[in-house]
Amino acid sequence: MNIVVEFFVVSFKVMWSFVLAGAKWLIKPEEKSVEGQVCVITGGGSGLGRLFAAEFARRRATLVLWDVNRRANEETAELVRDIYREMVPPKGFRNSVGELQLFQPQVYTYVCDVSKRESVYSTAEKVRREVGNVTFLINNAGVVSGHHLLECPDELIEKTMMVNCHAHFWTTKAFLPKMLELNQGHIVTVASSLGLFSTAGVEDYCASKFGAIGFHESLSHELKAASKDGIKMTLVCPFLVDTGMFKGCKIRKEMAPFFPPLKAEYCVERAMRAILTDQPMVCTPRTMVLPFDAIVCMYRFLGADKCMYPFLAQRKESTNNNGMKPGM
Amino acid sequence: MMDTKLLGCVVLFPIQILFCILKATVRLLVPLKRKDLVADVVLITGGGRGIGRHLAKEFAKQGARKVILWGRTEKCLRETCEEIAMTGTECHYFVCDVGNREEVYQQAKVVREKVGDVTILVNNAAVVHGKTLMKSDDDALLKTQHINTLGQFWTMKAFLPRMLELCHGHVVCINSILSLSSIPGAIDYCTSKASAYAFMESLTLGLLDCPGVDCTTVLPFHTDTEMFQGMRVRFPHLFPPLHPEVVAQRTVDAVRTNTAFVVLPWTMHLLVILKSLLPQCALEEIHKFAGSYTCMNTFKGRT
Repeated sequence: MNIVVEFFVVSFKVMWSFVLAGAKWLIKPEEKSVEGQVCVITGGGSGLGRLFAAEFARRRATLVLWDVNRRANEETAELVRDIYREMVPPKGFRNSVGELQLFQPQVYTYVCDVSKRESVYSTAEKVRREVGNVTFLINNAGVVSGHHLLECPDELIEKTMMVNCHAHFWTTKAFLPKMLELNQGHIVTVASSLGLFSTAGVEDYCASKFGAIGFHESLSHELKAASKDGIKMTLVCPFLVDTGMFKGCKIRKEMAPFFPPLKAEYCVERAMRAILTDQPMVCTPRTMVLPFDAIVCMYRFLGADKCMYPFLAQRKESTNNNGMKPGM
Repeated sequence: MMDTKLLGCVVLFPIQILFCILKATVRLLVPLKRKDLVADVVLITGGGRGIGRHLAKEFAKQGARKVILWGRTEKCLRETCEEIAMTGTECHYFVCDVGNREEVYQQAKVVREKVGDVTILVNNAAVVHGKTLMKSDDDALLKTQHINTLGQFWTMKAFLPRMLELCHGHVVCINSILSLSSIPGAIDYCTSKASAYAFMESLTLGLLDCPGVDCTTVLPFHTDTEMFQGMRVRFPHLFPPLHPEVVAQRTVDAVRTNTAFVVLPWTMHLLVILKSLLPQCALEEIHKFAGSYTCMNTFKGRT
């Protein structure tokens, strides 16, 4: 096709996408149903993972919870079972021979350390056998070492990278083939606003979250290039959430009222809306368009450049012989 | 009194931002003050070939006192070392795989004993597997993360403390524009470069308080070295691949002028701006048109 014509077509498509985005903003699209579909949530034992489990449970999805902490995972499962019990039973549907069938969703728990490739693959195999084909994959598991780079034990740096970033390779490789075959699926990456903007002192965490986003973007483009439009991807980048994972983090106190830590429930609610309306990546301003000095100015003005220092100091004081604290 | 202080900050803030933008514009036009490298010992990872080799030559040319090369292939390291020694700059090489943490610490100790304190660290070593996720080999995926990202953590831990003690040092990261804007077919590389970019940004912010220690991150577009052999951009006349000598020269310039972030070529800034403004589906159309979706189909890499 003539380059010039192609250029005009692309320009038109770009403008049209703005129109569509505007329309979507005005006329909220309908949320898709997840009833009966299998949803895997990593890090389901606590924090945002637990809240995602509750939200999916309310919408009658079958839940598969992965966590390295068996007890926390079971607690989430109990919560989910309570939700299932309280739900009004569905009207049911007639199967091929006319019998009335009632679908009762279930929750499955597995202990799995997502930083270990073999653990992910073997657990995924179990899920396929015991539960079925996975439609939703919520890559949510996340940890932070809580130390400045030069004071951080190397194993903890590696752990942060392995759980927050490399784990996504393994979980996606485990479940994507079936999604590709059926051209149906949804992969959600729970990153962080620290995956879009850095701050001093948490180099390992920022690196891992930027990596997770780089992975998500790259995969997104791969799926688009392969024309697999049945597989959706959503990126969730919460600002500071009040799960306690970053307890102590403070931006400049005068600015604090403008950027309060997000209530975890609110964060998950917004994320669910985005997932259920197939909203892709968040479109975010990149600070790199400004000269670096200006960026530093901005950071300093908000007190964001050193907002993690009080969090790191608190961690140092608290007696935690394990050294790693997952989201609470 | 607190309120007046805050009010003052709020009023000053837009003026400060404008001033920074003006300063940056002036920097583009007026030649900047350049620091001397005559007291500096430069260590370049991946210094045996590609951009690393040109970086070593450029640092030597611009007056560095000593140049140290790290890499995995002894032959390339030796050849580059000999070339630099012939120009009159003291040059050493050591075989070291930055993906191997213990090796990094061990060789760092050897460098300190045999050559001296490293004052300029250039994290340049990188590999690319260059396949889609499902076609990627798991070990290769991990190898890329270890060399491109974790390797930088280890070298930093090995050499930064001494730079902080001396209040004299410079950390350089040869990153890539792919850290800010991914393409399909190089998922390992894009992930690792994004991580490394964040690491440098976080470190740069943290080191603002340490006088004498500076950071530079260079984000080049496609550079015509062996590493990305075969990759084909759709409009090579509009976006020609960069020459490694030019990347090396701009890097050393950035080090001498203490520039924190350099995007090469400047047109890549437009990409970042577009990414900030456009909805996802619009970006995908532009990527398709620009050929990003097919550029890795002909990728061969290092043979």
